[in-house]
Amino acid sequence: MAVLALLCASLPLAAQNPGSAAAPRVRRPGGGAGLDYEAYDPATLARGKATFTAKCGFCHGSNARGGESGPDLLRSELVRDDDDGNLIGQVVRNGRPAGGMPKFEISETDLADIVAFLHEGVRAEAERGTYKVLNIVTGDPKAGEAYFNGAGKCSTCHSVTGDLRGIGAKYDPVALQGKLLMPAGGRTGQRRANAPVTVTVTLPSGKSFEGIMERIDDFNVALTDANGDYHSFSRNGAIPKVVLHDPLKQHYDMLSKYTDAEIHNLTAYLVTLK
Amino acid sequence: MKSSLIALLLPLTLAAQVTPPTNSWPTYNGDYSGRRFSPLKQINQLNVKALTLAWILHPAAGQNPSGTIVGGLGPDTPPLAGRESGFGGLQIKATPLMLNGILYFATPDNAWAVDARSGREIWHYFWKTTGGIHIGNRGVGIFENWLFFETPDDYLVSLDARTGKERWHVRIADVKEEYFSTPAPIIIGNHVMVGTGGDTLDVPGFLESVDPETGAMQWKWWSEPLKKGDPGSETWPNENAMRHGGGMTWVPGTYDPALKLYYIGTGNPQPVESGHGREGDNLWTCSIVALNVDTGKMAWYYQVSPHDTHDWDATQTPILIDGIYNGRPRKLIAQASRNGYFFLLDRTNGKHLVTAKMIETMNWSKGINAKGQPIPDPAKESTIDGVLVSPNSTGATNWPAPSFDPETGLFYVLTNETFSEFYLADTDPQPEGYAAVERNAATYGGTLRAIDYKTGKTVWSHRYPGGGGSAGILTTAGKLLFTGDGAQNLIAFDPATGKILWHAGLGANISNGPETYMLDGKQYLIVGAGDSLFAFTVDQ
Repeated sequence: MAVLALLCASLPLAAQNPGSAAAPRVRRPGGGAGLDYEAYDPATLARGKATFTAKCGFCHGSNARGGESGPDLLRSELVRDDDDGNLIGQVVRNGRPAGGMPKFEISETDLADIVAFLHEGVRAEAERGTYKVLNIVTGDPKAGEAYFNGAGKCSTCHSVTGDLRGIGAKYDPVALQGKLLMPAGGRTGQRRANAPVTVTVTLPSGKSFEGIMERIDDFNVALTDANGDYHSFSRNGAIPKVVLHDPLKQHYDMLSKYTDAEIHNLTAYLVTLK
Repeated sequence: MKSSLIALLLPLTLAAQVTPPTNSWPTYNGDYSGRRFSPLKQINQLNVKALTLAWILHPAAGQNPSGTIVGGLGPDTPPLAGRESGFGGLQIKATPLMLNGILYFATPDNAWAVDARSGREIWHYFWKTTGGIHIGNRGVGIFENWLFFETPDDYLVSLDARTGKERWHVRIADVKEEYFSTPAPIIIGNHVMVGTGGDTLDVPGFLESVDPETGAMQWKWWSEPLKKGDPGSETWPNENAMRHGGGMTWVPGTYDPALKLYYIGTGNPQPVESGHGREGDNLWTCSIVALNVDTGKMAWYYQVSPHDTHDWDATQTPILIDGIYNGRPRKLIAQASRNGYFFLLDRTNGKHLVTAKMIETMNWSKGINAKGQPIPDPAKESTIDGVLVSPNSTGATNWPAPSFDPETGLFYVLTNETFSEFYLADTDPQPEGYAAVERNAATYGGTLRAIDYKTGKTVWSHRYPGGGGSAGILTTAGKLLFTGDGAQNLIAFDPATGKILWHAGLGANISNGPETYMLDGKQYLIVGAGDSLFAFTVDQ
């Protein structure tokens, strides 16, 4: 009998309750985890959170990270190893008397919802590519304006009535700050499309070529000129002469100069440019 | 049989530590010292321009190539997370071993034996995965005829080196806790040193020693104290924090046979990018530790990043240097660390000798304390509205192998100057996981640096105009330094001056550490670039 009970408890919940099919396993773009985590529907997760808070939150904390007397369930090996409730179900229904956890009478649906809530909690930690930047508009817009026109020298290239007019309405704050700190688009940016580096190559004869830099290393340099023609040159030390022009140089140079307060203030100011 | 057994064992004897092997490449770094310096000089400054391609190998990975020996516990259709496409397809990051004319190497889930004379495959083994991050594999280890490699879903697999047939596999860690395993096992006597990785679910790091015959664990060293009151526990607020404190062991270590000490750098603490909930230095994360190879007992530790909050693990190869310091010969150990500092220690006792800044942009430290450790600036720990930090989480340097050339006395390393904005994303008093979002602001190319180990000062540097890649470094008595840039070139430098002597475009960035050995009277240079392995020689 005990064996039978154990077997039943280890069956996936989906098999026990045809009404709640197992959630599909997916890999979210840029999630960055090593497993395909379940994609639960929001209604299940909302019910799971409510049920967990009501039945389990007192001991384990409403976010399942541990509370007065219960351990952190998101750091629990058993929760991470669980498949569709096969392990969690046993603990909930049988309790852990030695550890002070009572057994619970719980419906299949409630259990499935709690299981979903816990697995989603683990997933949300593991897939760091899905983390969200929170409120970054904490600076002083007045100080930001002063920096823009003063020490930051932003106004030597930009104008709030010209190129930056309405920029606070065009981008959300996170994207807006991105324009400031990573104007080429960060790691995955389309540098060539956004603000290409250009290059001037001058041959010993004096003839020179200018255009968008396509490639450079210690041995070659290549460019596309204004006519759309591609030119490449072998490099031998200082010959030919190669001069790069990076329109974003000032932005990159600023990274060594900004204080964090200046970045926060500047962001707060740019947000006001609706 | 017998003669091959002797040949296999010879390169790992004590004598080989003084004079690195030349007719083989028997372990990840070529020898236990981690120097990646070869005394070979058939290829040298005078003839390097005559380097000739001997062969190219495009290994066929996966379950389908005919003749593939299949093992593993996963389904026929691998989990999405277990496919290599997420990391730019097949990338050879392993440094192949070469013994008796056969090369052995691995990529995630795959291992091969290849004829070193022709570049032809002898056998291929494929492990059906259950998951794990498939970012890379640093290679295999060999003990007599037994081969060992680790899988992304955390198994140590042993193969018969002659046939590629599986002998056994043992579980190292739980993939469902987001551990994933990339290191090349290092074999010392009858110990197989097995490390692991994984950063997202607040799990403890460890190093295991495993019996090469049976796979049974001989000892296990944890990267944190296990309970309150144990030495080191005073650097954590509570047991919950220390038992989930990270400290992964994902780059192979080095070994001093005379001291019987295995040296390994440990990874960053967890949660990775927030220090809330783990106040203190967080021992023994971000540390160089010296472990007795027979017992796993820690002889000493030196923490290069107390209370790291930027993912700057200290796993970079700690290189053994027998050199002069302050006028007398010393047994030294040096690390160019991900946090942007170069460290020199006495490897007999861990005593600190040198700390030196490697990159100019670094902005996270308030200076150096009495023990030579950088003092983290709490203002540069992630906040909700963001802080700008240099270097970014990839660090001033990373896993690509550095090199030490005893003839120049210089330590060579690839560095990157970068900035990232770090935003706290998990506002709980006890955050979990990475806990922060990082946005990369800039990467200012990459620089090859030659560092004087006695002072930590950069003697020469070469900034790559097209950016740095992730190539390891090899130095040789032919007065050559081989490495790669970020523009698909294999480059030979003069290790004394940084002058470029030769290059070849290989169609992909150099993705492993170059190696060299003699075979049939010819010196070979072997290098991996993306999905291909290249062999070069100089015609005599």
